[in-house]
Amino acid sequence: MTLDLTTSAQDMTVSQSRFRNALLDPETPAPDGLVTPEGTHAEKRFGVYRNNVSHSLASALVDGFPVLTKLLGEAFFRQMALVYLRIHPPASQLIMHYGAAMPTFLVGFPGTVHLKYLPDVARLELALRRAYHAGDAEAIAPADLTQLDQATLMDTRLVLAPAVETLTSEFPALSIWEFNMQDGPTPTMQAETILISRRGYDPVAQRLPLGGAVFVNALKKGHAFGTALGLATSQVADFDLTATLSALIAGHGIIKIEKG
Amino acid sequence: MSQVKSIAILGAITAAVAANATAALADGDQEKCFGVALAGQNDCAAGPGTTCAGTSTVDYQGNAWKLVPAGTCETMELTDGGGMMHKGSLEATKMNLPAS
Repeated sequence: MTLDLTTSAQDMTVSQSRFRNALLDPETPAPDGLVTPEGTHAEKRFGVYRNNVSHSLASALVDGFPVLTKLLGEAFFRQMALVYLRIHPPASQLIMHYGAAMPTFLVGFPGTVHLKYLPDVARLELALRRAYHAGDAEAIAPADLTQLDQATLMDTRLVLAPAVETLTSEFPALSIWEFNMQDGPTPTMQAETILISRRGYDPVAQRLPLGGAVFVNALKKGHAFGTALGLATSQVADFDLTATLSALIAGHGIIKIEKG
Repeated sequence: MSQVKSIAILGAITAAVAANATAALADGDQEKCFGVALAGQNDCAAGPGTTCAGTSTVDYQGNAWKLVPAGTCETMELTDGGGMMHKGSLEATKMNLPAS
C-alpha cells in the first residue's frame, strides 16, 4: 500500500510501512521521497510531526493512567510512555482505549519491575476507562428484587450493565487507587476483589467480598441467580450475598430481571 | 433447598436493597459530574499534540532508565505473601530496553 504525497513539481510516493517505521524510530531519518513544497527533503517537518505523535500519545497515557502517573511521577511516566508507545503503538483508532497493553508492559519494564502492584493498578484504571465508554443502561429499581419468591428467584437471570466487570488482585489495588485519587488511607497489604461499574456517567469501583467475583462473573455470563449463587458458595462457604448484591445495586449494575 | 436457606437468601436480598435505599436518593447529584469524569478520555489526543509546539529536534532519548519513579509509590510499603517488600527504590535501576 502506498501513500501518495503529491507536490507541485512532481509525484512521489513513500511506502506506508517506511513512513510508519520512521515515525516510531527517531534514529531513522525521514523517508526518502518526503519533500517540502519547495522540493527539498522534509526532514525537519517530519521531525515535528514525529515529536507531536509521540507527545500526543504520551499525553493520552498520562490522561488515561492518572494513578500510575502519580505513583511513578510524571517525569518518569512520560519517559516510560515514550518506550511504551514505540513497542505498543495504537492498535485501534479509538484513542480512548489506548494503553491496553500497559499491565504486561509494566511487568517487564526494568524501571517498574520491582513495583509488583503496578500492573493491577493499571488494570483497574483500564477497567474504569472501559466502564466510562461502555454502553448506557438504566438500572432496575432495587425494590423489584424483593418481589420474587425463592423458587422464581433461583431460575431468574439478573442482567448486568455493559460497564460491569470484576478485578481480582492479590494487592490492594483499589486502596492504592483511593489513596492517590481520593485521599484515602495509606494502603495495607491485602488482596482485593473489585467491582467496576458506572453510576450515571461516573465509573465507580467498590470492594467485593470473597467469592463476589465468581457470583458477578456467573451472572455476566448469563447464568441464573441460583447457578451463580451455587458457584460462589461452592468456592466460599460463607459467601456474603448481601454485600455482593449491595455493591451491584449501589453500582447500578443490574439492568434487567429476566424470569426463567 | 431447605426453608432456612431460602429465608437467608431472601433476607440477603432485602438487606441489600435496604442498604441502598438512601443511596438511591443521592443520585440526583450525578449529572453535575459527567462533564469532568475522567477528563480527557474523549479527546485526549486532540490537545497538546496538535498545537505543533513540538520542534524537529528528536525528543526521544529513550532515557527512562536514567530516571527512577519519584511519585507516591515511595510512600507505600506493600509486601506480598512472601513478606518481600515492594516499596519503590531510589536506587538507579540498570535496564536493558526491550527491542522495539
